[in-house]
This record gives sequence, structure tokens and C-alpha cells, in this order.
Amino acid sequence: MFTYVLRRLVQAFFVLMIVMLITFTLPYFQPGGIVAPAFAVLGVHASAANVHLWAVQNGMDHPFVVRFWKYFVQVFGHFNLGHSYKQNLSVWGIISLYVPRTIWLAASSLVLTIVIAIPLGIFQASRRNSTADYAATGTAFVLYGMPLFLLCMLSLQAFAFKWPHLPASPPNGVSPWAMFTDPVGFILPVACLTLAGVAALSRYMRGTVLEVLVQDYVRTAKAKGCSSRRVLFRHAFRNAMGPIVTILGLYLPGLLGGALIVESVFNYSGLGIQTVNAATNIDIPTVLGITLLVSILTLMGNLIADVMLGVVNPRIRIEGSSR
Amino acid sequence: MTLLPEPTVAVMAVDEVGLDAPFNKNEAIVPMWKQRLRIFTHNRLAVVSVGYLVLITAACFLVPILHPTNQTNQAIALAAPWNAPPSFAHWLGTDGSGFDEMGRIFYGGEYSLTLGILAGLITIFVGTLYGMVAGFFGGVVDGIMMRILDAFLSIPYLFLLITLITIYSRSTTFLIIIIGITGWWGNARIIRGDALLIRQLEYAQAATAMGASKWHIIRRHVFPNSISNIVTTGTFAVADAILALSALGFLGLGIQTPQTDWGTMLQNGTANIANGYWWQIYPLAAVFILVIVAINYIGDAMRDAFEVRLLER
Repeated sequence: MFTYVLRRLVQAFFVLMIVMLITFTLPYFQPGGIVAPAFAVLGVHASAANVHLWAVQNGMDHPFVVRFWKYFVQVFGHFNLGHSYKQNLSVWGIISLYVPRTIWLAASSLVLTIVIAIPLGIFQASRRNSTADYAATGTAFVLYGMPLFLLCMLSLQAFAFKWPHLPASPPNGVSPWAMFTDPVGFILPVACLTLAGVAALSRYMRGTVLEVLVQDYVRTAKAKGCSSRRVLFRHAFRNAMGPIVTILGLYLPGLLGGALIVESVFNYSGLGIQTVNAATNIDIPTVLGITLLVSILTLMGNLIADVMLGVVNPRIRIEGSSR
Repeated sequence: MTLLPEPTVAVMAVDEVGLDAPFNKNEAIVPMWKQRLRIFTHNRLAVVSVGYLVLITAACFLVPILHPTNQTNQAIALAAPWNAPPSFAHWLGTDGSGFDEMGRIFYGGEYSLTLGILAGLITIFVGTLYGMVAGFFGGVVDGIMMRILDAFLSIPYLFLLITLITIYSRSTTFLIIIIGITGWWGNARIIRGDALLIRQLEYAQAATAMGASKWHIIRRHVFPNSISNIVTTGTFAVADAILALSALGFLGLGIQTPQTDWGTMLQNGTANIANGYWWQIYPLAAVFILVIVAINYIGDAMRDAFEVRLLER
């Protein structure tokens, strides 16, 4: 078990380094080189000398490899994500305010998505091709086909303005604890994010359970006289858990992308809004920091899920590396 | 969102399609494409979806030619009534800039559909190539390529899209390329799984034993046998690209004015939602959602049609 966890950790670290290389490299080749961020920071009327000075101050006169190495040491050696170009704050100072807020939104939606999507998938699979199955699939398809912002806007219009029963925006205090002050404010955003998640996942859930239901061990369980409920939950569900966790892991980046949209619609300042702002201002250290952090969150989510699966299912523990 | 192939349960599909009839030796063998077409057309929803998509695509590309409405000249549009409700002059009213809404749905559709298909093609090409190389060569190559893919898969692609589009370019070409190359990660993973499985099957090993080159095996054995997943994930990739474009349109990063796409139009429409300008939202929303749903139904039916296990031998 220990070696399994260790191996997964080392693997995750390598993946993280690749993420860093990708996120560092992609904005590197921007047109105009250093000029674009320099103008964004200093203003469009900055003189050539000032632009040059700014570039030297920010270490931009070094070649790519040197800059990447410096960034790497800075992040992993000193746990420092750098200094924002636009705001006079360290990137970590900007992010740390919003990380808990985004995690709160995304995690509560993820829990609800799991709680709804998995039982729904089992239900649909066990009543395959019934009216209820078709109705659920159809609803999921419509919700999946609807852009998330449209879903948010329509529910906002309906439940916050037309029949004003719910607040239009979650609490937006500066303190990280402000988000706990008004739980009712989270109903709409979390519901929208959850609906989108259930719509995206339900048919994978249904398919996974269906796949398990035709396996030999399920037939054996039925043959030896298990009740259908016991077959479904003891035999089918437990074995479907592996693929389901994989699917959930792949869904995490989509969830955070969805959180970005939901944050924008409901005016909930989180990582998403910060990313849009930073990208618009060509504030590259902030964008890099947020992307890196969000990727770490995804990796951690996958790692935790994998380890937990490994604890539950010995087959995965042993085959772990072949996945 | 292309995650994993939805597992197909071959048994049930055979019942539905009625292919389990006893095999008659006197009967001429039906060509493969006919069998596939038969399975595909058996799925009524998929046939309706194809009809709908053809109709919408034709409308998007033909109506602006047959019945031209002003969609690019803002000076003329601003002189027309803004936010006008549906009338005989403007069947679906006008939008906030005075453009005819119905004409704009078709006009924006040109961009959304073209982008979806082109970005989908990029996704299919890159994803298939990457997945096949990784899966076929296996071992260290696979290990490294999969870790790189893991890295891509852990970066939320919307964050990446926003960053790259704001930093580099907002042109339509760049949008197509960038949506295409941020969409192939899930596809590559699925194709890689296929390639990994197929290369160790008897026929691929037999080909190796007979001295076939690696390229030959990929081309003649691995590719044709993973075509089911390539086509299916490719179909879903088109829907995902259109959805990604709509999310970007919401953030103001979609196709730039005076051109437009469905996402940008929906964003402009929902900005007016409190004023009750329903004609700017619901007709387009219905068209949009149905396009995505139709593409998904077609993808599902394609999976069945390409499922080799369902074909007569």
C-alpha cells in the first residue's frame, strides 16, 4: 500500500512539472515579446528605455531555459508564485483570498453531483429503456446542450427576479469566512453547477453500471438467489466504482471551468474572475500562478480518489501502474 | 466533454436491431457500409437528428444568400429599430444593435458550425495520432506520452483558452486552432486504450510475425479497428467545440463583432433578459441546444453502427 501511494505521489510530481512547463511555455511566445506585458504594466506611452528597464528588473532579458529554471526554483524552492505585474501584490496574496471561495463552490457542487449522478445512473441502468430512463436521458441531454451561462442566467432571472425567493448573488465579503455568512446565497450557483455536472456525467454513470450488469459475477449473484437490490448495490455498484472514480477525476477540470462561468454570472469573486481579469491585463505571473494552482487541485483530487480506491479495492492497488 | 467511451452493451443492441436472425447461407453478404447504415437508420432519433442538422446547416449557409439581411453594417443597423419585437419585417425581431435576429441566427450559425467542424477535425487528427503512437509503441514512449497527457488533462482547458486567446489573438482562425488543440486530450486517451488493446490481439501479432512494418500495422489493423471510437469521440468533439466557443462568447472572447457566433448572441440576448426581450434568447437557445443534442444522438448511433460486434460476418 505504501509503495502504491509513493509511486502515485512521484508520478503526480512529474505531471506537475510538465504542467508547469506547459503553462510557462504557452504564453511565452506572445507577439511583441516583452513589450506587451511591459505596456500593460507601464501604460502605452512608456518610453523604450523604461520598457527595457522593466524587462531587466523582471528578469526577462534571460533566455527561456534560464527563466524557466528560475521560475521552477522560485515555486518549488521558495513556494513563491512571484509578483503580480498589474497589482502591487504577490501572486499568492491575490490567490489566497480566492482559493477557498472557489474550492467551496466547486467542492459543494461536486459532492452534490456525486450524490445525484451515481444513484441516477444506477436507477437508469436498472430500468434500462423505460420511460423514466428516456426522460432522464432527454433532460440530461438538454441540460448538457445548454451553455452553462444560459442555464445560470435563466435560473437567475426566474428565481431571483421573476419569483424573487432566492438571493441573486452569494456573499462577497473580503474575508475568506464571508462565504459562510449567507448559505442561502449559494443555492442558485451551486444548483446550476450541479445540474450541469449531473447532465455531463449521468450517461457515463449509466453506461458504466450497464457494462457491469452484464458481467459474469452479476449473473452468478443472480443465479445464487441474491435479491436484485443486493445484486445492484453489492456486486454491480462496487465494481463500477473504479471507472466512476476515473470519470470523476477527468471531470474535475470541467468542473473548475464551469465554476469560472458560474462565478462570472453570479458575481462571486473567485479564481475564475481573477483569471479573466489577469489574462485581460496580461498579468502573466498571476495567470501562471492560478493555472498551476488549479492544476494542483485537480491532481490532488485525482490522487486522493486513486488512493482511496486503492484502499478499497486490492485489484487496483496491485495493477495500479498499468492504468 | 469527452471523458470516456460510454461502454456499449452489444447484447441489447443486437436484440433491438434484429440481427440475431439465423444466418442464411444463400443470402448474399451485405456490404459492411450497408449494414452500418442499417444499424444507424434503425435509430430513429439519430435519423431525425441528421435531418435537423442538415436543415440547420443548409439554412445557415443558404438563407443569408437567398434572403440577405444586413448583418455587418452597424451604421445601417443602428438606424433600424433596436430590440424590436417580432413583426412581418423582422420575423424574430431585432437585437440590441438593430440587426435582424433571424438572419443573425443563421449568420452566427455559419461561424459556430464551421468552427465546430474544423476544430473537431483538428481534435480527431491530433488525438488519434497521439493516442495511436502512445498506445502502439507502449513501454517508455507510452509512459512519457501519458504523463504529458495527464498534465494536459489536469489543466482546466477553459483557463488555458482564456489565457491564450487574450494573450495571442482573437482572430477566428486562432479560435479554431486553439479550441481544436485544447480538445484532443480525452480523445487521445480513449484511442490509446484501443491501440494498446489491439496491438496485442492475434491478428496484429500475426502481422508482426509475417514481417509487417509498424506503420503497416497501425494503418491496416490498429486504425480500422479503433475507427468506432475515433468517429464517436470525433462527433462529440464537434459538439464540445461549439459549446467551448459559446462559453468564450459569454466571456466576450468569441467571434468578434461585427461577425458573431451563437454564444456571443446568447450572451447579448441574456444581457437583455430583464427587459423581457424573449426573441433574443429562446429561439436561438432552442436551435443551439437542439444542435448539440442532435450531434450527441448522432454520435451515439455512430458508435452502434461502427460496433464491429453488431455486424454480420
